[in-house]
Amino acid sequence: MRFRRAAALLLSLCLALPSGCAVTPRGEEPAFRVVTSFYPMYVMALNVTDGVPGVEVDNMAGQQTGCLHDYQLQTKDMKNLETADVFVVNGAGMESFLDKVVEQLPALTVVDTSVGITLLESGTGEEHVHEEGDDHDHGDLNPHIWVSISDCILQVENLCEGLAEADPANAALYEENTRAYVEKLEALRGEMHEAIDPLPNRNIVTFHEAFPYFAEEFDLHIVKVVNREPDSQPSARELAETIRLVEEAGVAAVFAEPQYPESAADIIAAESGAVVYTLDPVTTGPDDKNAYLDAMEQNMETLVQALS
Amino acid sequence: MEILYAVIDVLLPFEWTEFNFMKNAFIAVLLITPLFGLVGTMIVNNRMSFFSDALGHSALTGIAIGVLMGVDNYMLSMLGFALLFAVAISAVIGSGVSSTDTIIGVFSSTGLALGVVLLSASGGFAKYSGYLIGDILTVQPEEIALLAVLLLAVLLVWGLFFNRFLVASVNADLAASKNIREGAVQKVFVILVAVLVTVSIKWVGVLIINSLLVLPAASARNVARGMRSYHAWSVCISMFSGVTGLILSYYLGTAAGGTIVLVAAVIFAVTFLLGFLSGRRRAS
Repeated sequence: MRFRRAAALLLSLCLALPSGCAVTPRGEEPAFRVVTSFYPMYVMALNVTDGVPGVEVDNMAGQQTGCLHDYQLQTKDMKNLETADVFVVNGAGMESFLDKVVEQLPALTVVDTSVGITLLESGTGEEHVHEEGDDHDHGDLNPHIWVSISDCILQVENLCEGLAEADPANAALYEENTRAYVEKLEALRGEMHEAIDPLPNRNIVTFHEAFPYFAEEFDLHIVKVVNREPDSQPSARELAETIRLVEEAGVAAVFAEPQYPESAADIIAAESGAVVYTLDPVTTGPDDKNAYLDAMEQNMETLVQALS
Repeated sequence: MEILYAVIDVLLPFEWTEFNFMKNAFIAVLLITPLFGLVGTMIVNNRMSFFSDALGHSALTGIAIGVLMGVDNYMLSMLGFALLFAVAISAVIGSGVSSTDTIIGVFSSTGLALGVVLLSASGGFAKYSGYLIGDILTVQPEEIALLAVLLLAVLLVWGLFFNRFLVASVNADLAASKNIREGAVQKVFVILVAVLVTVSIKWVGVLIINSLLVLPAASARNVARGMRSYHAWSVCISMFSGVTGLILSYYLGTAAGGTIVLVAAVIFAVTFLLGFLSGRRRAS
């Protein structure tokens, strides 16, 4: 008898559960849903869609996730993408899970913002132009393109083109927004060149390979990248070599990132006498459309302070 | 610390001691490894290697709780959770409902799964993967002081409780006849292991902490004759693997923790052969 009662209880539970879920009210669906893969894309999309009626921008990975290295797709992410009209990605191998998404949701429009941008190879710094339909493995290309303002501008333009194609009714608005944002970015780039170009010291050490594009743009020389993968720890030999390199090359400043722990940077700085500063690759930040501009301005001030 | 650094410079004028971070790591290894050797003997004797592994896994949940509560130093949340976890395991084992390895398996997987769920809730489990491998190179002078205190505390507990640990581990009936409460002794030991694992996990890592507890003692058992030499061997092997592994990792450019464990594993293989051969000789 006990068994039967338990079985009945289980059965009624099973029946109650789905019906309970079904009554959740659904809010008003926005006319056009843009989902971005991670923070830099989110900030770009906020600017391009600013004030366009009926458009909702959602950031899949959340504001505090940082770079998508080794990001594991969660059920809620797939749900989110299922209801999206457009999925905006950085491309160049940043979204390692993209193949899985495309396989699962073949109807989803993906806007790859890295199209046409000259990519650097990880570690070596060799160049490689990314073209449309280019589907070989990009595991060895450096995906941190948005950290260079020039490349960021190209990405914003790619994004605008993609959105205009998917939502032609609002194309004019997207283009207008893009023009305004690109103008701001260009002004910032000019300002940064003015501030950074005359600095005497151009050798820097960074952690996590986020800055090669930035360094190329402002003609800085990255002596060494410690921890090419963000979450690995440098070995003792790598630390020792870096310390010697810093001493020999006369590097005055070691740049850590706010997203990662500074312990290795602290060790190198303490041993070599260099100073640790923070450079922000803008992979996390506030829910604000000016976040990229603000962070870059902050980076400019840091560099001026560190390298003069 | 300056004095210690100077002493190391005089005694060990090698390339690998040139930098302070290597000196720090060296001192930390000298403090941690005897602890692992010592506590490991009892873990191997009591067949608790799976238990210490479970404690290591529970550290992930401890970190996750720390992250959720928004504290910067995860030591307290890890310690709190590990103690709770350890006491809960030994209580459930004491109830005698299920076999020991099953119970520990249940707790171990629960601790790990809970940690993974909580930590990946914010999307970035990769951020905490440093705890899986650990990093002895980032040990700070004040943390070395903490390790020294831990070493003293463990030695003290060991001195006070050793006989009782031993009797309880060898023969429960004998322990009862000598009025030793086995449950209480076991709890003290379990708490000791929990504290040791939690404090050192940041530098040793979840994945390999148990190897450091088990391997030196297991090797020592292969060659030791009697309790005293068992302990001495275990502590010596542990310290030797620690120091050798650290130095090797410097010259080979490998991860320090993993190299230390590999050295310990090689020693186990050698002692196993030695024990096997001498056993055969005695038999024939």
